[in-house]
Amino acid sequence: MQSANVLLKKIVRSSVLPFAAQHGMKKDLFSLSRTLSLSLCQKQDNSCSPSEKVDLDAWKKVMKSGLQEEVSETVSEHKELSTLAAAREILEMWRLAGRSVPEHISEEQLKTFMECPSKSAKKKYLKYLHLKELYKKNDKRKMDEKRERRLATQEQVSKTDETRRNSFICLWANSMDRAYSWRVAQSMIFGQPLVFDMSYEKDMSVREVANTVRQVVLSEGCNRRSVDPFHIHFCNFKDDSLYHKEFIKQYREAWGKLLITVTDQCYTDVFPKDKLIYLTADSPKVMKTYDHNKIYIIGSMVDRSIKTGVSLARAKRLGLETAALPLEKYLLWNTGAKNLTLDQMMHILLTLKDTGDWKKALEFVPKRKYYSFVSKPVHELKKTLNLINTLKFGKTKEEAQKQFAKNYSKKLTQK
Amino acid sequence: NVQPPEKPLQAEEWNRLRESFRSPEIFEEVMFNSMVRCNSPIDVAKSLLTHVAKSNGDIAYSLLVKYLALCVQQGQTSEIRDMYDIMKIRFKILESGAYNLLIKGLSNSDQWRMALTLLEEVKKIMVPSRTNYESCIKAASRHQEMNLAFELYHEMLAKDLVPTLDVLQAFFDFSRGMKGAELQKELFGILLYLRENQIYPHKTFMRSIKLWFESIPGGNWRGHLTNIKDSGQCPVCNHQLEDSDLTEEEYNNLRERIIRDVIHGTDTFRKTSPQEFEAFQTFVENRFPFDIVIDGLNVSHIKPRKMQCENLFDAVNCLAKENARLLVLGRKHMLINSSNWKREIMKEMQNKADFFFAENISEDDAFLLYATLRSGKHCKFVTRDFLRDHKACLSDSLTRHLFRKWQRGHQIVFSPSAEGKHINFLPALCYDCVVQTTGDTWHIPYKDAFEEKYSYRVPRKWLCIQQK
Repeated sequence: MQSANVLLKKIVRSSVLPFAAQHGMKKDLFSLSRTLSLSLCQKQDNSCSPSEKVDLDAWKKVMKSGLQEEVSETVSEHKELSTLAAAREILEMWRLAGRSVPEHISEEQLKTFMECPSKSAKKKYLKYLHLKELYKKNDKRKMDEKRERRLATQEQVSKTDETRRNSFICLWANSMDRAYSWRVAQSMIFGQPLVFDMSYEKDMSVREVANTVRQVVLSEGCNRRSVDPFHIHFCNFKDDSLYHKEFIKQYREAWGKLLITVTDQCYTDVFPKDKLIYLTADSPKVMKTYDHNKIYIIGSMVDRSIKTGVSLARAKRLGLETAALPLEKYLLWNTGAKNLTLDQMMHILLTLKDTGDWKKALEFVPKRKYYSFVSKPVHELKKTLNLINTLKFGKTKEEAQKQFAKNYSKKLTQK
Repeated sequence: NVQPPEKPLQAEEWNRLRESFRSPEIFEEVMFNSMVRCNSPIDVAKSLLTHVAKSNGDIAYSLLVKYLALCVQQGQTSEIRDMYDIMKIRFKILESGAYNLLIKGLSNSDQWRMALTLLEEVKKIMVPSRTNYESCIKAASRHQEMNLAFELYHEMLAKDLVPTLDVLQAFFDFSRGMKGAELQKELFGILLYLRENQIYPHKTFMRSIKLWFESIPGGNWRGHLTNIKDSGQCPVCNHQLEDSDLTEEEYNNLRERIIRDVIHGTDTFRKTSPQEFEAFQTFVENRFPFDIVIDGLNVSHIKPRKMQCENLFDAVNCLAKENARLLVLGRKHMLINSSNWKREIMKEMQNKADFFFAENISEDDAFLLYATLRSGKHCKFVTRDFLRDHKACLSDSLTRHLFRKWQRGHQIVFSPSAEGKHINFLPALCYDCVVQTTGDTWHIPYKDAFEEKYSYRVPRKWLCIQQK
């Protein structure tokens, strides 16, 4: 029998099927040949007859099979699900459905998620967590790659071990730090004060406060590294406020060693009122020159929902002078709010302080917000803007002009 | 970007397609998306599912949902039921996307009751969306189960979901010719809902309302399309429409809220200052009541080619008829002699009207509202501003509705057609543009298009329904 089978296989391989059929095969063997003949005819012709179709519902069987046991377990569990666990499950389902949902979510985040007042708020929060997770993952991946590369280069270096001769000691980060600290310490005695007003906690959401603190930290960093730093004051700073918590989160133990002045007093109690100038985009007054004898105040507020006039109100209440940056005078504005981030403000003020050059200082305004610097009379710029618009959006002249009118207040055109 | 095949494919053919695709890992997702877009036959989708199941031993949830979407799109009821069973076996709970599809698919079939059970299931894990309710309500009313439909409708209102105009229209469509006092009461309730929320039905919805009224057995209702006269009289039944006056209580309420939310808000200094507001209050107390309060700066920009103070001068002259007491609100910079503001003209105007000049950085609109409301019901105000930002400051929808109602009846706007030399104003509507009834008549304003661009524009066309 075995030898007969071998023979048959040989016959099949040599594809002399008609011959085998003619010679009265056994039934099971015949079925083998039949499937073979099918696949053969398919290769020749793609259109199959109905009996040869794919079993279209086969997937249902796959999906239903092998999962029955699991179900019996879950049913009893189902009823006892706590609300948190239930939320976690819904999130899991959303993730499976392909929505922007983080893979891992902590208990605390889950609670924040459930406290979101609306469906859209929940969606936004999840998307935020999702993106955060993605960034973290990417960073980690990059770090790993970097480490590998470093290891590889180190191996190379060790192979070609060469003694380097250098009269300078390599300037390490901590000695740089010491030099910076020295400068900042000096500025704390002789430097020009710069006030961050920390009284906007009530006007912000938790996330906005976190963003604010992040920006203040960046500003402090660039102040520290500058040639002639400001003496930074945090005024109206309450201990155990949200600001405080966020600062500790950012700085950790360095918070206690920062070379800045932190006080719960208002700036009006610390400095003479006539020396203070509150910087706010809503101010009707435009800053013309940088004054080295004044004390500028920056409101520590990130304002995502565009609450106009909040900081202007604060200055009005205290009867302080206000000023706005001369953005419209120097820049042909494109889009975006005129309020800048705190670190951008810091860069601008530092540059002004050093050079007094507006053009140089306003380089720190994000490029997307303006077309170009104003170098020609306004009516000529109008032409340029029209051209830009027609090139960029294919807008008609009138539309472009409308855009211009919107961007350029009447005040300026009259000047 | 990929064209789905027209016939079911074999496993190796799918494989070949997959390999030729740019990023094979998302091939199935992309393919299913385009199948839904092209409305491919479900057999094709099935063959792909079979291929996936056989090669992976499992099918991802997102693919199942996409397949479900295809089934719903084609009304494949038995397939939808199967999908439900499979998903239930496979997953503990489903998410809203799948439920939306299941409910939508089943509610359109003869198994619509199943959609109701699914709705119950959804309620256990989240608040159903308004479209979930919409599907179920439509299904119930399509099968003449009006009680059930209304039960769901009230449930959805209790959950603060805003019903779509479609659902409301469905009630009228499917109740046509049906008898029953209870049913009538419910439908009148919907009309009152439109009234309370100041919603205007669109043309087809209006037609459904009309047909329903005319179909009430023994009701003898007749509907006519018409335009209301400026006097507020309906030309069909000569009925005088309601005016937009608020009651004493509503009036006081609105005034309080304007002061609290719009003028003071989170910080009085944002729009004015306490001293300034106090000064303004005493100013108004000493001189009110005014008949018309004018937003001076806004009016001064009516004709851009003219000097601003001339515009204002024309407007004041135009409005200062019959000894009307005018108040013009402006800012201090108007008092400084400049190219746009001539001192002599300002002087002359101040003989004809009272003026209040706010600080240059204060917001005069808030003062405008206050002065008008303080002067009483007869007082109107003039501005081209739609006051949307002020309405938005009010914290609850009820007050916002009051504000809109008051605004409709008291705002005088510049007439856009007046291209000539003289400035003309459209008088404020003396009737209220809102669904209204007297018991034996109904007057329903309607929009021409489904989606009208401007929410502040009130419709001019009306449906008049009267009982003979």
